[in-house]
Amino acid sequence: MLIQILQDALFAAIAAIGFAAISRPPKRAYIYCALIAAAGHSLRFVLMTGTAPMHIIPATLISSFIIGTLAVASASHARFPAETCLFPALLPMIPGIYAYKAFGGMALCLLAADDDTFGHYFRLFAFNGMTCGAIILCMVVGATLPIFIFKKIAFQATR
Amino acid sequence: MTMTISTTSDQSTPSLKQLAAFLSDYSAWLLGSGATCIRLEKNIGRIAASFGKDVEVAIMPRHVHISVSEADSHEVVTAITPVRHCAISFNINTRLSELSWEIADSKINFSDAVDRFHHIVSSDSQNKWLVLTLVSMANASFCRLFGGDAAAMAIVGFATLAGYYLKIWLLAKGIDNRLMAIICAFVSAVLGATDMIFHVGNTPAVAIGTSVLYLVPGIPFLNSFSDMLYRHYLCAFSRFADAIVMTCCLSIGLCAAMLMMNTGMF
Repeated sequence: MLIQILQDALFAAIAAIGFAAISRPPKRAYIYCALIAAAGHSLRFVLMTGTAPMHIIPATLISSFIIGTLAVASASHARFPAETCLFPALLPMIPGIYAYKAFGGMALCLLAADDDTFGHYFRLFAFNGMTCGAIILCMVVGATLPIFIFKKIAFQATR
Repeated sequence: MTMTISTTSDQSTPSLKQLAAFLSDYSAWLLGSGATCIRLEKNIGRIAASFGKDVEVAIMPRHVHISVSEADSHEVVTAITPVRHCAISFNINTRLSELSWEIADSKINFSDAVDRFHHIVSSDSQNKWLVLTLVSMANASFCRLFGGDAAAMAIVGFATLAGYYLKIWLLAKGIDNRLMAIICAFVSAVLGATDMIFHVGNTPAVAIGTSVLYLVPGIPFLNSFSDMLYRHYLCAFSRFADAIVMTCCLSIGLCAAMLMMNTGMF
């Protein structure tokens, strides 16, 4: 189990660094992105696979809150806006698979020739679309809450 | 309308017109580089207050309206600027936020702030080969997080390398970014499908599914929900619609590749 958690943390860190590179952060932000993503993603992994497995939506909410708190703490330390490492650290949790499955479900739903096929793909579209929306909402709410709570620290980080 | 900023009258206290022109350009770049609406409001409010001016901002999907006034005067100057269409850059975002504090703390005068602003927006560069490598490794790691095996990771890494290189090339040629998303998703998914066609590994479905995930517009999705929480509904909806359109485009490319390669869908 420990190996799996460490693997999850390692791959989340690599994913965060790569996806952070697309959004051009300051060089000093990469290490923070990696560490925060590793902590957040491995926490979600533990919550979803532990002795009392949690659903992906509340697990995402809790992990995002931790990511947001760590990002605000890092921002004041490294002097960059909290979003600089907050958003790249969240990216490994973006439900991309759900998003394109929702679109694919919708497309196949429209092309369906009979009611049963339509019902199957409509269920795929609705389930994946709602799950995707709920995960993103939980990610943003969870990650933004620490910025609300520690507003003074978050918006004075670059001072 | 983008106004040319002149600082000839007085370097420490800009006129309303000068300040409105500066703030509108500042806002256009800050929004274009991926800042949230709340950060924009905070930063320009801080800059205006440091010069003893009041500022009101209306953030529209494609434009920013800035109205600058003085408490003891009825004069109001409004500037409207189109939001910059540039790549998301948290480096610009960070440095512009630093600039707002330097102005607020009176560390630099208005003239120097304008010079610093132009330097910040013109000096943001990145090694594209390094980014290409990092993105490929990131997507391969993403594949692993979704349960892909070593073969799937290698194939996804190569598919991302090819797709992201194509993305850089197409954008340099001035291709519309929606068309770019369709083409890159198609190419990456075709390469990702090789795992299934040649029976290389044990998780071919994960390989093909994750081969296009580097195109998912994660930052616009996150920004849109963040703007919604702060009641910037128009901007939130605009960013959400942009992100949905990009997701639809990459899904079109993916579905077309799945149909062509006959890999089956879902």
